[in-house]
Amino acid sequence: MQIINGKTQFEPPVIHAENIVKTYYPGTENELEILHGINLEIQRGEFVSIVGQSGSGKSTLMNILGLLDRPTKGSYFMNGENMNAAPDKALAHIRNKSIGFVFQNYNLIARTNGISNVELPMLYAGMSPRARKERAIQLLEMVGMQERMDHTPDELSGGQKQRVAIARAMANDPDVILADEPTGALDSKTGHLVMDIFHRLHEEEHKTIILITHSNELAAETNRIIHIKDGEIVPA
Amino acid sequence: MILENLKLAIASIKANKMRSFLTMLGIIIGISSVIAIMTVGNSLTKAEQESMSSMGANNIMVGVYSASDDSVTLPTFSEENMQSIVKAYGNRIKAIGMESQVGSGTSRSQVSSDSKTTSVTVDGVNPGYFKANNISIIKGSTFSSSTYESGSNVAIVSDVFAEAIFGSVEDAMGESVEINVDNNYTNYTIVGAYKFENTGTLGTKKSTTFFIPIKAAENQLHNSDIYGFTVVAKDGSDSAALAKDIKTLIKKQIKIEEGVTLYADSMQSYIEEASKMLGTITIAIAMIAGIALLVGGIGVMNIMTVSITERTREIGTRKALGAENYQILLQFVTEAIILCLFGGIIGVIIGVSLGLVAASAIGYAGSISIASVLGSVGFSMAVGLFFGYAPARKAAKMNPIDALRYE
Ligand SMILES: Nc1ncnc2c1ncn2[C@@H]1O[C@H](COP(=O)(O)OP(=O)(O)OP(=O)(O)O)[C@@H](O)[C@H]1O
Ligand SMILES: [Mg+2]
Repeated sequence: MQIINGKTQFEPPVIHAENIVKTYYPGTENELEILHGINLEIQRGEFVSIVGQSGSGKSTLMNILGLLDRPTKGSYFMNGENMNAAPDKALAHIRNKSIGFVFQNYNLIARTNGISNVELPMLYAGMSPRARKERAIQLLEMVGMQERMDHTPDELSGGQKQRVAIARAMANDPDVILADEPTGALDSKTGHLVMDIFHRLHEEEHKTIILITHSNELAAETNRIIHIKDGEIVPA
Repeated sequence: MILENLKLAIASIKANKMRSFLTMLGIIIGISSVIAIMTVGNSLTKAEQESMSSMGANNIMVGVYSASDDSVTLPTFSEENMQSIVKAYGNRIKAIGMESQVGSGTSRSQVSSDSKTTSVTVDGVNPGYFKANNISIIKGSTFSSSTYESGSNVAIVSDVFAEAIFGSVEDAMGESVEINVDNNYTNYTIVGAYKFENTGTLGTKKSTTFFIPIKAAENQLHNSDIYGFTVVAKDGSDSAALAKDIKTLIKKQIKIEEGVTLYADSMQSYIEEASKMLGTITIAIAMIAGIALLVGGIGVMNIMTVSITERTREIGTRKALGAENYQILLQFVTEAIILCLFGGIIGVIIGVSLGLVAASAIGYAGSISIASVLGSVGFSMAVGLFFGYAPARKAAKMNPIDALRYE
């Protein structure tokens, strides 16, 4: 519920997962149920962290929330729209416009400079080269990478790569940023630097952010902590 | 979007120079061998055409031959045949050249003047022979009709001969030389000199010839049978049609035995036939080289497949960032086409250079076959499309999370 211009309006949650089950190799003898019915709602503007042991299914859940994978059972709504029936083409479109990914291993396009990496989502969105470049530079400045915009990933440190990746995640001004252990490969000082950028995005740009982390310290900085244990959400 | 894809493809090719080069290598080798062969073939065809036309593109060769054994007697042509041709088709004819086969053309006769002797080929010819065979008289003149008709002992010699025996063409005029054919000695007075030109195809040397009137050859050398003659059609008249008409006319005038063939072939038809044959050979060899191109294409597919596997994570990332399947497909297909196009262009450059060098090495002026150049560039793009499509499609259809998690 939000109050806009003095009127009360209902806005659907950015993310709404209903009884989500993920099973690998369904129907075979190796069948492996990883998520056992996840219910989750995340409102616009929230900064949420997901914590849990290794192998508990955090990434599996995140991939479903990011429309990179489909749940075996259950329903997933983004901005109130059911994603279950959406064709691959529509999912690609939503990933492009509404979701910004930040990965533990950065996943920058190799041998391609920072600007081009940040431009990529805008290119797929059909933006003009000029507008793309302008925004890419803006975003890289925002993450403090203005001096190394034309460096390729192999010329950057882990922290620098992650900052380029965050700029790229912001390219199309997404509804939600999904970050799967973005500081996992960084030392704690650099990790805090990256974390500060997320805080800024949250506070200044009002971004909805979902962060998977193994650091209780970082999780404690977020609005809400979701605990996952063996494929289920558990109370703290 | 097309332009963006081109940029993406070029960026990706540039970002992976070594891999790109290896992919192109097969295409480069294939295209360059095809083009080199086509260039040599084209140069050869052009040279043959030119050399044949230099012998007279408007020439019609009329003659008889026997395909069977020696039991048949070949009919011979006479002055009357020539005159009837001139009478019937004179307005379409520039010249008629007749040549009697003294010393059967290849046998050489001894010429002695003072102490100098040299060997020559002796030919009995008509006055029109020089014009018909593009032989230019540089001193004196061709046989006058009176000396020709009476069969006077006059001769027209080459400048080479004149210089060798008399020191100069001028000094040779009016001089007398003795010719010995089969121990038959006759003196001839030199009345003219022609410019000797080594016009033989494939570098064969045309021996310097001693021309005398046909009747002179008949009187003194006992050998003047004319088994063939050359008719030169006027520029612009259809030499093939004229050849046909002459054949019809001659057929009525001479008796042709069983087993003997009368022919009247225009040089034009020879040129066409020779070009066609050379063209066929060239294409046949080029097709063998085309196998190299096919192997190159398979190489492209191989490296595309490897490259796509290697870049699975990149494909996953692109999909996570919102690339649709067709965009991934387009990216990789464009990449394959551009790679092959670059390879094709490099191949054309190498092939043309090799072909021109090879052509000049065997003594021909190089001539580039534009059609094969354009064809090859187009074909290499098709190879890229054809062999790039399957791996690109596989990449495009990949599940985003599977691609992203690929190790
Ligand atoms: N494609 C797959 N096929 C089969 N099993 C899978 C697949 N992906 C993940 N799993 C299994 O699902 C379980 C959960 O994996 P997931 O990656 O979600 O864990 P996680 O909570 O992110 O762990 P970590 O903190 O180590 O990243 C693991 O036991 C893993 O082996
Ligand atoms: Mg994980």
